[in-house]
Amino acid sequence: MWQWFFRLGSPKWFYELSGRWLPWLYVAMTVLLSVGVIWALLFVPQDYQQGDTIRIMYVHVPVASISLACFPLMAVAGVITLVWKMKLADMVAMCAAPIGAWFTAVALATGAIWGQPIWGTWWAWDARLTSMLIQFFLLIGVIALRSAIESQDAAARACALLSIVGAINVPIIKYSVEWWNTLHQPASNFAMDNESPFGPEIWVPLVIMIFAVYLFFVISLILSTRNEILVRERRSQWVVDLIAAQKPQGA
Amino acid sequence: MKPHRRKKLTIIAFIATGLGVAIGLSLYALSNSIDLFFTPTQVAAGEVMSGQRVRVGGMVKEGSVMRSEESLHVEFVATDYAHDVLIRYDGILPDLFREGQGVVVEGMVANGVFEASRVLAKHDENYMSVEVKAALDASGHSMPVQETEGAANGS
Repeated sequence: MWQWFFRLGSPKWFYELSGRWLPWLYVAMTVLLSVGVIWALLFVPQDYQQGDTIRIMYVHVPVASISLACFPLMAVAGVITLVWKMKLADMVAMCAAPIGAWFTAVALATGAIWGQPIWGTWWAWDARLTSMLIQFFLLIGVIALRSAIESQDAAARACALLSIVGAINVPIIKYSVEWWNTLHQPASNFAMDNESPFGPEIWVPLVIMIFAVYLFFVISLILSTRNEILVRERRSQWVVDLIAAQKPQGA
Repeated sequence: MKPHRRKKLTIIAFIATGLGVAIGLSLYALSNSIDLFFTPTQVAAGEVMSGQRVRVGGMVKEGSVMRSEESLHVEFVATDYAHDVLIRYDGILPDLFREGQGVVVEGMVANGVFEASRVLAKHDENYMSVEVKAALDASGHSMPVQETEGAANGS
């Protein structure tokens, strides 16, 4: 068990494994994303109150829910960095922060675009929206902290601690709509059976979009981490060999 | 696990739990200020002072909306089905505004009437296609009971 855990922490092993996985992930993402987008934009029925505006949900919900996954991921990576000093965990945490910040920003933007026609306002200082904005600032903070500290090890430790602390915000975002009076509506319960009005015609494309956007997040994270591995391990023999093998002849 | 790692892990767990409890308690203490709006019951209980700028949230009572013929002036009752608040508003209402719909209004209480400066529509978490809604209305069920079994979550 522990041996497997430590092998996972080897950048070389991760680089090779992710290289083999990437083509499959690309295929799965392309298929799910095209099915999901076409279904959501063209075939989902209009909502009885919101009409076509409901289609914003198929971008907003996947992006927002995945932005919530970012901090727990960074927190777990942070614990591994602090306790086991695994280099790969820090690289993943470092690469996840900007991606998570983009996801949070897109969730806030699509939420504002949805709020304008439906609520009648772009922004309200309600608990869900504000806690989401705090997550955005926390992620910007993690990125800034990383670049502010020159020593790589010290930066890794500081960012790990901030990520663990920042992850406390995630349950607050998740349950804000239940704990407090908010303008944002609580999470929807979609029923499985065809007879129910909250039937599959609305949530199946949503689930497809969630998986598609998750894959997009994972692929972005893997690509970004692979770059970081090559940069940090540039002096190790396997990277030198890899680059020599890729260089065209006579160059 | 080696002892020094176990120790480190305990420290991290301790810090995280301590901070979590501290933040949880302060949010609990602040929950009145975090609420975006007062409910009509809170207004009836006198929690809102006259002349204080606040937001009140509730449902637009069926049959209570009275529009002026020559201006944008509108009067309606916001209710939480326990207490009512009469609301006056001059301005453009959001598209989703209708009877039986949730609203959040911003303004102040004056002489027992809520003078609103802004009206926001609050929509619920139920999404239904136009056809399903029409079929439900035809069969006499205005709002179906939500099933929780085997439910997928989104927001």
